[in-house]
This record gives sequence, C-alpha cells and structure tokens, in this order.
Amino acid sequence: MNWQNVKLIFLREVRDQLRDRRTLFMIAVLPLLLYPAMGIGMLQMTLLFTEQPRTVVILGEKHLPPPQLLEGDKFVSNWFLNPADADKLKVITDTSVELGGGGLNASRNMRLIEQARALRERVEQHTSLNTELKQAEVKLREHLTNPAAPIDESLETLQGRIGQLKAKQAVIDHELMELFASSQIQVLIVIPDGLKENIERVNRLIVERDNSHVEGFTYPRPTIVKNRADDKSVVAYARVREVLDAWEDEILRQRLSAAELPEELTRPVGSAPLDLAAEEQISANVWSKMFPALLVIMAVTGAFYPAVDVAAGEKERGTMETLLICPATRTEIVLGKFFTVMGFSMSTALLNLLSIGTTGQYMLSVAGGAGKGALAQAGAVTLPTAPALAWLLILLVPLSAFFSAMCLALATFARSSKEGQYYLTPLLMVSIGLTVFCLSPAVEIYPVHQASWFYSVMPVVNIALLLKALLLNPGNTGALIFAGPVLATSIGYSLLALWWAIEQFSSEGVLFRDGERFEPTLWFKHLLRDKEPTPTFTEAGFCFVLIMLAQFVSMKAFGQSIASVSADQIGTQMLKLMVIQQLAIIACPALFMALILTTSFRQTLRLHLPDWKFLAVAAVLPFVLHPLSLELMASLSWFFPQLPEGAVRLLKTMGEGEQPFWLLLIAFAAAPAICEELAFRGFVLTGFCRNGRTRLAIALSALTFGVMHMIPQQVFNATLLGIVLGLIAIRSNSLLPGVLFHFLFNSLAILRERASVQLAAGHAEEFQHSIWSSFAILDAGGLRYTWLTLVISGVAASACLWWVWQAGRAKVKSETVEGLFPNGLVPVKQQHPTCVS
Amino acid sequence: MISVQQLTKGFDDLRRGWVAALDHVSFEVRPGEIFGLLGPNGAGKTTCLRILSTVLRPSSGTATVSGFDVVTHPTEVRKRIGFMSNNTGIYDRMTAWEMAEYYGRLYGLPEDVLQLRLEQLFDTLQMNDFRDTLGAKMSTGMKQKASIARAIVHDPPVIIFDEPTCGLDVLVARKVLAIVQSLKDQGKCIIFSTHIMREVEKLCDRIAIIHRGTILAMGALPELQEQYRQPDTEELFFDLIERHDAQMRSTMPEFHLASL
Repeated sequence: MNWQNVKLIFLREVRDQLRDRRTLFMIAVLPLLLYPAMGIGMLQMTLLFTEQPRTVVILGEKHLPPPQLLEGDKFVSNWFLNPADADKLKVITDTSVELGGGGLNASRNMRLIEQARALRERVEQHTSLNTELKQAEVKLREHLTNPAAPIDESLETLQGRIGQLKAKQAVIDHELMELFASSQIQVLIVIPDGLKENIERVNRLIVERDNSHVEGFTYPRPTIVKNRADDKSVVAYARVREVLDAWEDEILRQRLSAAELPEELTRPVGSAPLDLAAEEQISANVWSKMFPALLVIMAVTGAFYPAVDVAAGEKERGTMETLLICPATRTEIVLGKFFTVMGFSMSTALLNLLSIGTTGQYMLSVAGGAGKGALAQAGAVTLPTAPALAWLLILLVPLSAFFSAMCLALATFARSSKEGQYYLTPLLMVSIGLTVFCLSPAVEIYPVHQASWFYSVMPVVNIALLLKALLLNPGNTGALIFAGPVLATSIGYSLLALWWAIEQFSSEGVLFRDGERFEPTLWFKHLLRDKEPTPTFTEAGFCFVLIMLAQFVSMKAFGQSIASVSADQIGTQMLKLMVIQQLAIIACPALFMALILTTSFRQTLRLHLPDWKFLAVAAVLPFVLHPLSLELMASLSWFFPQLPEGAVRLLKTMGEGEQPFWLLLIAFAAAPAICEELAFRGFVLTGFCRNGRTRLAIALSALTFGVMHMIPQQVFNATLLGIVLGLIAIRSNSLLPGVLFHFLFNSLAILRERASVQLAAGHAEEFQHSIWSSFAILDAGGLRYTWLTLVISGVAASACLWWVWQAGRAKVKSETVEGLFPNGLVPVKQQHPTCVS
Repeated sequence: MISVQQLTKGFDDLRRGWVAALDHVSFEVRPGEIFGLLGPNGAGKTTCLRILSTVLRPSSGTATVSGFDVVTHPTEVRKRIGFMSNNTGIYDRMTAWEMAEYYGRLYGLPEDVLQLRLEQLFDTLQMNDFRDTLGAKMSTGMKQKASIARAIVHDPPVIIFDEPTCGLDVLVARKVLAIVQSLKDQGKCIIFSTHIMREVEKLCDRIAIIHRGTILAMGALPELQEQYRQPDTEELFFDLIERHDAQMRSTMPEFHLASL
C-alpha cells in the first residue's frame, strides 16, 4: 500500500469536486444560502400571515348571566390567556342583530342568525329526543334486570319505540350536519331561556344553605354546536372553550364568595404538576429529535453525488481506463476516492446541520422576542452543548464512512452517472426509512423493559439512536456503555462496505460492462441455451432472493391456516405447515433452478457418494456441537430481543408430549435436513463457489442460510452452523454428510426439549443422583450441560473440524478448476489458487 | 520487450454465449520497432492491448512486458508502459499541465525530474499555448496531445497505441503519427493497433492481421505481400479475412448463424 498514491488521488479528486458546480451547490450553496433564505421566508410569512377571524353565533344573549362575556362583536379579551386572541373570533348575537347592529354586514349577520335559528330548532329536537330516548333506555334496563316489576309497556313495544327514536334522531342529526356545513358558522352557542335566573336562584339557595331544593340544581344548560371534522370549527371551538371555561370559573368564584365558602371547595384533590425540565433540556430534546435524522440524511446525500461522480462519472468520461493503467493499485485508487467521498459526506452533513441549527435558533429567538404565545416558550432554544457536539462529530465519522463506501461500491457498478443515481436512490430511501424509525420515541438504544443490545449492532440505526440519547444528555451513562459496541460495529460495517467497494473496483465485469442494451428475451434465451454444469454466482443469489420472497408471501397464508384450526389442533397444523414450507419454499426453488439453469443436476446439488470418513465425522459432530451451541445461545440471550410468540409456541410443541415423536422428527429434523441442504449447501453454495473463492462462498452461503431463519437468535445460530455445514459440503463434495449432520443436530434439539419436560415432570430427583448429572443439570430453562460436557465437546469439536478443514484440500482444488472454466478453456496458469482456504 | 504466448480471453455474451475474444494469440515485439495490430472492429485488438496493460486478466496464456508477467507483476508492468487510446479520456476539470503532473507523480517521478520532463514534453509536443486550459475547453487535437503527454510522462520503454487516430481529422492524425514515429526513433518498443491500411504501410515495421480473436498472418508488410502474392495491402487484408470466414463456415455449420 503506497499512501503517497492514496493522497495524490484524494487531492486530485477533492480539487476536481471543488471545481464542480454541482458539488459546490450541495455543500456550500444549499446550507449557506438556502436555509437562511427559507428562514427569512418563513419569518416573513408569519409576519404577514394574520389569522382570519372565525364566526361564532350566540343565540339567547339576553339570558347570559354576569360577569360580562361579550364586548361588541368580540368576547371580552380578559377571558383569553393571550388577550390578542380576542380578535380571532367574531361573535354575532341575536340581540345585536335585532338592534340593527353589524353596520355594513347587517344583511350577512341577519342571514347567519336565521341559519342559527334553523339549527337551534334541530338542536332542540335532538335534545328532546335524547331525553325521551334516555328515559326509554332506563326503562328497558329496569325491565331486563327485574322482569317481575309491573310495567305499562310490553318489552316489544319498548324496544320498537327505542328503534324509532334512534332513527328519528339520526335523521335530525344528518339535517343538522348539512345545515351546519352549508352555514358560515364555525361554532354555535345556544343559551337556553332563563339561564341567568336559574343561576341566580341556585346562588341564592347556596347562600341560604337550603338543601330542600336539590332538584332545582337541574336546569337547561347551553349547547355548543361544532364539527370535529372541520379544522376551522375545531380551532374556533378550542378558543370558545377557553373563554367559556375562564368565564365559568369566574361565575363559580363569585358564587362561592357570595356564599362565604372557600375557593378550594371545588378542588378537593387539586394536584399541581412540577416540571423539572430546565431550559437547556428543552432545547436538548429538540436537537435530539432533529439532529440524528438530519445527520443520517445529510451524510448519505453528501456521499451520493461525489460517489456517482468519482466512480460512474469517471467511467462515463473514459478516464477510468487511464487511471487503471497507472501504477496505483485498485485498493489505493478506491481509498483515495473513498476519502474524497467521505470528506464531502462529512462536510455536507456538518455544514447543513450548522446552518439549520443556527437558522432555526435565530428564527425561534426572533419569534420568541416578539412575544407571540407558544413560540415564546421555544425562544430559549440554545445550541447543543460541547460534549454533545463532540459526540456528534465522533459518530459522524463511521456513519459517513459507511455511506461513502456503500455509495462508492454502488456507483462503481453503474456505467454512467445517470445509472449511478438510479442505483443510489434505494440507499437514500432506506436511510430515510431508518431515520423515521429512529425518530419514534419508543425506539431507544437502551429499552428499559426489554434489555436488548440488538439495536446497538444494527447499521445506521445504532448511530442514530446513540446520538439521540447523547444529545439529550451527554453524560448519560446508560447510553455511554453502548458507545463501544456502536463504534466497533459501525467501523466493522464501514470496513465491510469498503471491502465490497474494492471488490467492485477489481472486477473486470464491473469495470468493463459493455453498453449493450438489455433485452429480457435475449437474456432469458442465453440463460437456457448457454447452460453450464453448475449455477453462476448471480443465479445462486437469485435462488436465495426467491426463497426469501416465497417465505414473505407465504407468511400470510400460513398465518391464516393456523388461525383457521381449533386450538387443540394447532400443534399438528404447525408441524404440517413446516413440512410444506420446507418442501415448497426452500427445496422447490433450488431443485427447479438446478433443473432449468444447469446441465449437471448432480454436480450442482452435490449428489455424490462421499468418503465414509466424512459421514463418520458428520455423525459425531452434532453430538459435540449441540452442547456448545446451546451454551453459546444461553449465554448470549441478553443480547437478542425476545422471541416472537409464534416461535415460542413452536418450541413448546417440541417439548410437549402431545405430538408423536416421529412427526416431530419429520417436521423439525428430516425435512429441514433434506430441503435446506439441497438449497443452501446444494444450489446456493455451488453457485457462490463459482468465483473461485471458497471461504467467501462458505461465509455467504452461511449468511443467507442464517437470514432465511428470520428470527435474530436463529439467524445467529444458523449462520454459525452454516459455516460448519458449508465446510463439510465443500470438503466432502457431497450433500450427504451435511444432511446427516443437520438431521442429527435438529433431532438432538428435539430430544433435549423432550427430556427436559419429561425429567422435570417427575424424574428430576432420580436424574440428579444418576451418573448423568455430571454431564447435564436440570434448571428452569431445561437441561443445561455441565462444564465437563462442554470441555469434552469443545476438544472433540475442534478435532473434528480441524480434520474436515485439512481433509481433501488437494482433491477439491482440481475439481473446482473444471467447474470454473467451461467450454474447455482451462487456464494454463491458475490465477487464484481456487477453493483453497 | 513484449512477448505474448498463447493468449486467450473469453467473455460471456448474451447473444452468442461463451465467446473467445482472443484465441491462442502469440507474438513478440522488439525495442525500436513499431508492431501493427491490424484488424476490423471487434477483432480482439483492444482486448489484447488491455491484457498487456494489465486491466484485463487473460483466461489462459501468458504475456510479459520487459520480462515481467502481466498477471503476476502488474505494477511493474504498468510502470514500464505508456498506454494511449482514442477513448482514454481527459479530465474535464483539470488542465493539461495538471494532468500530466498528476500522472507523473503517480508514476513516482521525483519532483525535480518531473518538472524538467514536463517542460521538455510540453516543448516537444508544442503544448505550451494550452498548458492551463481545462480539459473541457480543449479541442480534439489538444486533447490528443494532452493524452500522449500523459501516456509518456514517465518515459516508458513500451508504448501502446490503441487506434490513436480514430475519429481525428487529417491534420491532427498526421501530427499523432509523427509523434509515434519520433518515439520509435528514440528506441521505444511500440504496439500500434489500427484498422487503417495507410497508417500501417507508413509506420509499421511488422504487422499482425487479427480477426475474430486469431492472428491470420504476421510479418513485415513486404514479406506478407510476397507470401500471399497480393501487392495491395487492402486487398491482402480482405483476402485473408474472407478466406478465414469461409473456412469457419465449412468447419462449423452453426458459425454462419452465430456470426449474424
């Protein structure tokens, strides 16, 4: 590695980008001009924007009790929290219209009052129907609870009457709704006759402490008509509510003081909130919501355009070949370009955040300074503290590195800038999706209720969540313990992405993709005509995608099928479905693809008889790996999220004695052993092996095998087993040892569940005194193996694996060469020592 | 200087399946010699030159440049060759000087040597008028000169020209050919691929006629004319290609279909 070359390429690319108007626009013009411009625009808008006053109609103004509620065509401004809000409601009353008020708007006001009266008529009908309905319903309830009581109406007629009343009410409600919608009224207040007198009367009763007229407290109350589905009405109603509540409080206060009663009378509990949020914490909350999301989106956007330009753009302009001929190695070229993209990604993210932060803060302070209600509270928003900003910088590095490497790899694959943009758009979409996910308050790096480290290893999400926690409180020790894993895994992902980018850059097929137009029919014909003995890398990848898609599609059907059977048959049904799933979704795609796309079914699916030694090892390995895998999963249980309900149910089925043992063996051991091996050690592994790199092929096939299991725990476990199975398949060049291993391994899991349940059911004591207790103990989670078993297993497993590792290396070498170069084009000199680990 | 033995390169093609772009090609080029690769479009010229410049790996066979194998020692090979083709692009946002300087540094020339070399190159190629012109603003002729300056900035013993005059007007093409000639006079080992007979007649010491990935004939032009009793180069070329295609049709019946 010549770092001088990396530096040269980096400096050239940076200069090249800085001479490009597009890049300058993204990193300079956008943040420095656009956001402030947008800020000014928004400020202008808020200054120019005056809220249209909403119309409130009050019928029966003369029945309003004191204190004064109205002043001209407005509510008295004292009743509002913010007195300026009084201008936002225009009040029209029947009294003022009858007195000829309203000036220019007299005729409009007249019409509004008429509409209001029409509405009031319906409202009264509605109210009277409601009273009648309630009485009828009370009667019905009495009737039902006490059938022996004497009644004036039969049950049938009563029920009939309730039905009729309801139908009538529905008609009136519909009329009301239409009338209200067609009127210009946002809120209608109907004050009933005698409200003033009623309130005065009750006040008197209280002053006199007269308890003999308690029924006098019940009198007609005002009705407020509004429409919750209409935004204007909602806003107007909220203000009216505020006014009426304040006004009513005042009436109540006067009533209490007249009766010489304490004001606290109406608040027997009177709880008061104590808000501990300090000013800077409120700001921290704002930033912790905004910055992680912005950082992710800006980091990916910042990487996007330079990546397309330095990779696909270079191909398009024809300078790529020139660069490839110079003495710099591919790795040096990629690193130089990678650092350029990363630099721009980081500066774009930082400049954008800085600009948005300062513009936002400035705007809020301007708005706050003007003292406009709710905005004034937000005016105190300060920029995040220095430690928080330091974290932001630290976490930006792996984030930018990851996106830069991803963008570079994708852009290298593209033939032109335009194509590059198409490939990168999904990355942008996925990032935005992840950001939205992280914005949810429920998603946190340290979930309180369900201890799980899972989020801390998810790419991008881990950084966003850690940043969210640290911006809220930079000294948050709960979040700080996640900093290590988050940084380590993020750097790991970045390196993986970078390795992929270098791979892309080293591939002839990618660098010299010809501009031939894509014809599906031609391509399909080519696929069927130019068949080779074994599948290609792409075909293997496609097989996996097909399996995943089929699983996704079948999920709903399987769910319905389980829901449709009765509870006692769910177990059997699940087992049946498992077998069907294995056959239809996992084995079928592999078998059909092998039949259609390859010439040698046997070679593709490794249907050869193996050396008996491999069979022997495959028979021993499950017994020694089973305790190890179990212990590993048990000791890692804190790491994973809880098992979904369905999986727990399946595990229970394994242990319970309800299902016959042979059925369990078929569903959990035989079917997966055959089907999954055919697909993953057959078609997929053989295809992945085609590029001549066995270790990569084993790793990829193991990973796909793991991902197919969907549940995080199983994904992890299956990936590890996939590595062992892949190695066995490659070394023995046969599917059989794998099938045997897989079958035994899964059978052992069933046996263990069974044994645990049965021992716990009555033989626990006996077991503890038997010789077996030095190998396994019984605890709450079932059988656990002792250290003795684990040590023996570890030694034996290492020995077996080592034997498999070194066995048959020379043999494999010669065979794969043949598979690699079809049509007899056997290279004179072998480039990669193929299939050697 | 350049030695190519049984070089084969296959591609997977949608229309034709597995295609050998180069099929067991062998030749040698000595210092102070211009070796012409003459063939129609798609004959495998560019594939062959790309393998020599280490950007493609051969499926089989060997190729060495100055004794270094292109597969096992690609970096050593790259240091010793200059590669120039009609489509080796010029960076739009870099001046002629910056570009030559950049490649000089990538080739690891010490700074003082590099500056001297650049001055000398820009003088001999008469590029001083546009040394600070950005690539985007250059004319085709300027671009071609800049490209040559870039290719020979490190004074390589082997220079590969892949159709360097393709698409150029007569004046510019003439200048390019003059530069090639002067490089030969400096004792460079030169491979020159083209499909233009005149250039071959004028420039090349020896030629190989390549078609469908195989070399049909090789030698000095007068020898070939004598051997095939055809004094006209163009006729010679067509005869050879016709004869080859006819032979292919007779031995492989499906060839006719595939060649459509």
